[in-house]
Amino acid sequence: MLTVRRWWGRYGLRASLVILTLMLAWGLRQSQGTVVYELYRFLTLPFQPRVDVQQVALENATVRELQTRLVELESQNQRLQQLLDYSTTQGRGVVSPVIGRSADHWWQQITLGRGSNDGIKIGDVVAGTGGLVGRVIQVTPNTSRVLLITDPTSQVGVTVSRSRVMGVLRGQAGNRAVMQFFEKVPEVRPGDTVVTSAISQLFPQGLPIGQVESVDFRKSPAPEAVIELTSPIGYLEWVIVSPNPKAEGLEASELENRAADSQDSVLEEVAP
Amino acid sequence: MFDPFRWSPGLRRFLNWAVIVLSVVFCLLVLPMRLPGMELLGVAPNWMLIWVVVWSVNRTVWEGAIAGTVLGLIQDGMTTHDPTNVISLALVGILTARIRKQRYIQEDFISIALIVFGMAVLAETAIALQFSLGSLQQRNVNYPSLSEIWIFHQQIALCSAILSSLWAPVLYYPLKRWWRMIETVEQAQTG
Repeated sequence: MLTVRRWWGRYGLRASLVILTLMLAWGLRQSQGTVVYELYRFLTLPFQPRVDVQQVALENATVRELQTRLVELESQNQRLQQLLDYSTTQGRGVVSPVIGRSADHWWQQITLGRGSNDGIKIGDVVAGTGGLVGRVIQVTPNTSRVLLITDPTSQVGVTVSRSRVMGVLRGQAGNRAVMQFFEKVPEVRPGDTVVTSAISQLFPQGLPIGQVESVDFRKSPAPEAVIELTSPIGYLEWVIVSPNPKAEGLEASELENRAADSQDSVLEEVAP
Repeated sequence: MFDPFRWSPGLRRFLNWAVIVLSVVFCLLVLPMRLPGMELLGVAPNWMLIWVVVWSVNRTVWEGAIAGTVLGLIQDGMTTHDPTNVISLALVGILTARIRKQRYIQEDFISIALIVFGMAVLAETAIALQFSLGSLQQRNVNYPSLSEIWIFHQQIALCSAILSSLWAPVLYYPLKRWWRMIETVEQAQTG
């Protein structure tokens, strides 16, 4: 007893400080760093890109897409169709500035300057200029975190719009992703456009993603294609967040689990 | 006005804590930021790791381990807790505190940069190992395959080590000066 009391007399203050700090850190971890992100948003407020809806609409699809389409004459028609598709699905979106990137090297995430106060929910679809960017995985009152489709753990069910061949898109850090086909001899060639497929559990059908850059038919166990993403994921300044019809059917907790490991389980089952 | 020798012990302790907390908050806020010159192949300096190294260099193993755990927990909150940063940062704290600096290396920018370089590689390896373990156990279907993990690891570890060691003095120099001043004042007042 005496030794305990003596120990407490000597180290009591220090020990309680350590415990207090550990508890604080635990609290921050459990709250997913909400305080930090809110503070970060508040401090970077003067530096955030000004988001003007009209300017966004202008810059949004036409300008950049037209520039690329001049070069890509062949895929012009398909792209135009997708563009129409794209603007109709983006009707109810919230335009939000990108205020930060991932706080860790292993994850490809971005932080947005809008949160639950603006109606953003976990599972919402995030699109940039030209196509799908990712999915909201965490929301604080004024910020939200997005898991990009370039993240190595992100898997999206996709389809080649010309031949309707299906596959899974896996992120490869950078502006590239790899599409793994289910078939042994898929009907695909460089230049084909790739969109989200109907069996993806996380994203609505038909969101433009990118173009096939090269195909490797000899890859085992299934052929793979390198996809060049349409949106400039490395240089995003603002994005459009729109509600996800597929997420609304799922329970919130289920979605969070899903957000944590981001899986398309149906696709996993189908995959060889 | 700015005379540390006239501060009361209470004020001094308060200011010391304030500096510690504010420097951690600074690191937390810089984490999601990508300023020009802070990025190499999409990888930014590991500010949490720099802080833990700077803190542990002149402290005991326990203090290093606790600091690593606390910062690891916070960083987990800001990213994800699977795989966790607690293990890697606590390891960094313990090892940095154990290095016998007086005997082997001088305490200056170069040696701090060297320690940070080594520790960054170590920390990323610890995370890559957790990823590999998860991938082998099939805990999460979406973990990349082993070969992909280790390719990422090479890239991330090298970039993170280079950038962190180059940016380390930004944190090390002011904090070292501050702690040295506090130490001098304490010695003057007790002795």
